[in-house]
Amino acid sequence: MGPDGVPGPAVPWRKVLWECQAFPDNYVDQRFLEELRRNEGIRQYRYWAVVREAGFVGEQLSCVAIFITLWLYMEQSLLFPETLLWTSLVCALLGYGLHRALPAPVESGCEPRTRLADLQSAAIFLSFTFGFSPVLKTLTESVSTDTVYAMSAVMLLAHLVSFPYAQPSPPGSFSLNAALFASVCLASRLPGALHTFAMLTCALLVFALWPCLLQRLRGSAPSQFAGVCVGVCVAGVAGLGSQWPGGAVLLALALGSVTLLCPLLLVRLQRHKDNIQGPWDEAEIHEDLGHFGH
Amino acid sequence: MVLKVFFPQCCNRADSGLLVGRWISGHDSAVVLAVVHYPFIPGQVKQYVQQMKAQSGGELSVLGSWSLPKDGQEGMESFLRDLSTIFPQERWLQINRQLGKTGFTCQVLQRDQNGKVIQRETKKKVEGGDEEEEEEEEKVIFVHYEQKKVMFSQLHPLENGVPDPKTDPPSELRQMFQSVAGSAPLFFLDRYDDGPLKSTHWQSDGREASILVELLKQASVPLCMLLGWLLSIWTWISNARVFSLFPLRFLSSKLSTCVQLSHRTEHMRTLSSAKPAAGHTHFIRKANMVVSFLVDVSLGMLLIWWLYRDDHISMLANTLVPAADHVAKELEELLQWLMGAPAGLKMNRALDQVLGRFFLYHIHLWISYIHLMSPFIEGILWYGGLSACFGLTFALSLLSDMVALLTFHIYCFYVYGARLYCLKIYGLSSLWRLFRGKKWNVLRQRVDSCSYDLDQLFIGTLLFTVLLFLLPTTALYYLVFTLLRLVVVLFQGVIHLSVDFINSFPLFAVGLRLTRSHRLAEGVKFRVLCEEPGTALHLLMEINPLKCSTVVQNYRTPTYSCYPKDSWAALIKKLFVGELIYPWRHKTTKTD
Repeated sequence: MGPDGVPGPAVPWRKVLWECQAFPDNYVDQRFLEELRRNEGIRQYRYWAVVREAGFVGEQLSCVAIFITLWLYMEQSLLFPETLLWTSLVCALLGYGLHRALPAPVESGCEPRTRLADLQSAAIFLSFTFGFSPVLKTLTESVSTDTVYAMSAVMLLAHLVSFPYAQPSPPGSFSLNAALFASVCLASRLPGALHTFAMLTCALLVFALWPCLLQRLRGSAPSQFAGVCVGVCVAGVAGLGSQWPGGAVLLALALGSVTLLCPLLLVRLQRHKDNIQGPWDEAEIHEDLGHFGH
Repeated sequence: MVLKVFFPQCCNRADSGLLVGRWISGHDSAVVLAVVHYPFIPGQVKQYVQQMKAQSGGELSVLGSWSLPKDGQEGMESFLRDLSTIFPQERWLQINRQLGKTGFTCQVLQRDQNGKVIQRETKKKVEGGDEEEEEEEEKVIFVHYEQKKVMFSQLHPLENGVPDPKTDPPSELRQMFQSVAGSAPLFFLDRYDDGPLKSTHWQSDGREASILVELLKQASVPLCMLLGWLLSIWTWISNARVFSLFPLRFLSSKLSTCVQLSHRTEHMRTLSSAKPAAGHTHFIRKANMVVSFLVDVSLGMLLIWWLYRDDHISMLANTLVPAADHVAKELEELLQWLMGAPAGLKMNRALDQVLGRFFLYHIHLWISYIHLMSPFIEGILWYGGLSACFGLTFALSLLSDMVALLTFHIYCFYVYGARLYCLKIYGLSSLWRLFRGKKWNVLRQRVDSCSYDLDQLFIGTLLFTVLLFLLPTTALYYLVFTLLRLVVVLFQGVIHLSVDFINSFPLFAVGLRLTRSHRLAEGVKFRVLCEEPGTALHLLMEINPLKCSTVVQNYRTPTYSCYPKDSWAALIKKLFVGELIYPWRHKTTKTD
């Protein structure tokens, strides 16, 4: 029985257009809904797998927190720039060794970087940062402190939002640039040129090199990766807690909601998903309606 | 059918005779040009018409007869009708006027193929008679025109060159104007001439003045030759190799005095050419050039008289150096203000100090230069003032150049500021693309995404931050010096505009339009003269003078335009991006 209530004649209806049939054009029979499919290609998430993935988001959040903690220490002169520089150097060397030791993911058409290129990059980083640090020091002198803080906060948020969590190596241009801009802004508030230099080197380690290492770690040793994430999160909370306990509580809450609560919600809400597909044309709205006017 | 007869006003009261004129081809209308009086010998009239035809080059024929019966001249009707057989025409107009009546009556005699004369009458049908009777009535409209005005007027829009036979034939009105203007030889026959024929038409009153014109024409030939000789010498000098070397050539294209000189030379070259003006437009252009040159020179003489009368020159020279000093002092104060915290703006202190000191040193250099020059300024002014005898435009151009030289420091500041600002803007725009992970694709002229290396990103962001925080300081310096520069450019622009106005304003054409408004006609308008039920319609044709704006537009002397090349939006965009702006004329854009 069709939608118009036409009584079915003896000839059965066929879903063809090239024959002249005694049915109205919009006629369909009972078989119409047989081809209905629900939730095609759905992925059933398991809670702990999602938590493991979300841990990376929390880890990046903690990285930002660690950076801010270091800056707070530097601003109050609790941490000397020399100490930070030496620590950074040791960390960088350790990280570089680890990076070299870990097996590189197989990439086609892209030859691995040589040690010379790495050395060159490092020289460029260090020389430019060192050369620019006096300029950067006086750069925001006349800009008010609130403005600098607001700009840094916005930029760090932009870094977190635009960070390519699925493919963190190499880090996305915008997220890295935003983080560097924020760190330049913050570093220019520090008391001396060497402070600025140390802070920028640290920012480079945290925002540019660390994600590269982490990505390689994730590719080769997933179990250690989870451990590193947890470690970074704990370090971030602890570090922030030593300077600003309220902030540490907030960070812990944020980490908990991101890594535990949100995956839970995702898995729970997955049950209510109802996506239907069938032999009909879905209505598509084209944005350019201009050609209908003619 | 309506037959239009264009009838000259001066023939209204002419004695009876023959109408001489022409039929307008393609239209049902006739132009009456003159009336040949009785008594005449038909052979002589025919010969005269042939002769006139040969002289004027247009068509000319006897159109019909004209009768204005005076006392004792009754009963000419049949005689006039018989005349049509002497001058065989396709159509024969027979116009009558009764004394005391305003209207004319007109009879049209039409000759058919058999040579028989058919009469049609305007008012009423012909009653009987030996002629065939026509069923339809033919109406005649008399259009009275003033022969002198029509003869000298030039109907606009002008037709340049030879009319193309393929295009539409000229309109009826244009043909009528052309036939009146073309039959000038017909009007040479004076009323006092003692020839065999007497005729009525427009006659020039001022024969005596025309002698003066002839004398002037004769005198202009050696004058033009002299001018041409002087010009050739001048051209030879200015084409010398020394002047085509790079720095001189560049300088001369930037100095408005040199530009004005070349401009005037070109005018003079046009004027001194031996060829007579081809066509009306060319003639008016030449006359415009002469008049504007004369006005220019007389204004210049006036200026000289004022300058050298009470020793104004030394007064000017004595005020010039203190004025320049004063400007420099004001600039210094401005810079000091900028080096502090101008308008409460917080600028980068280090860069601010550097820029301020740089500009202060420049002002110091400038002041010492001016003081070095100060003994010579009076002499320069004295000799420069003499240039006004070439015309006011020269003096004005010289003034513009002097202003440009005296405000050279402002120009320098502007260029430094603009270059710095431009560098910043371009750097920021390209680094902003890097900041977002994009790049400008030159080949496809669009922004593409691009994956940069870590070190590229790092250095780019560092530079971006530096440029961004230093931008306000540079932008403020740029803004202040651009405003100063704009004041100078505005002043020079006003001078250039006035020079251009004197050069190109069509004084002669405008004068012609104001004093002899019929000379430049845009069209005609008709006024009903008399419309009595019994007679034909009489219209008076008056000439519509050309609008003044159209006169200016049509007859402007083509100049190197000094109007700004770009629109206001483009100018503002240029200022925003930091491109340099100049008041100089661009030689490539010659606007007509």
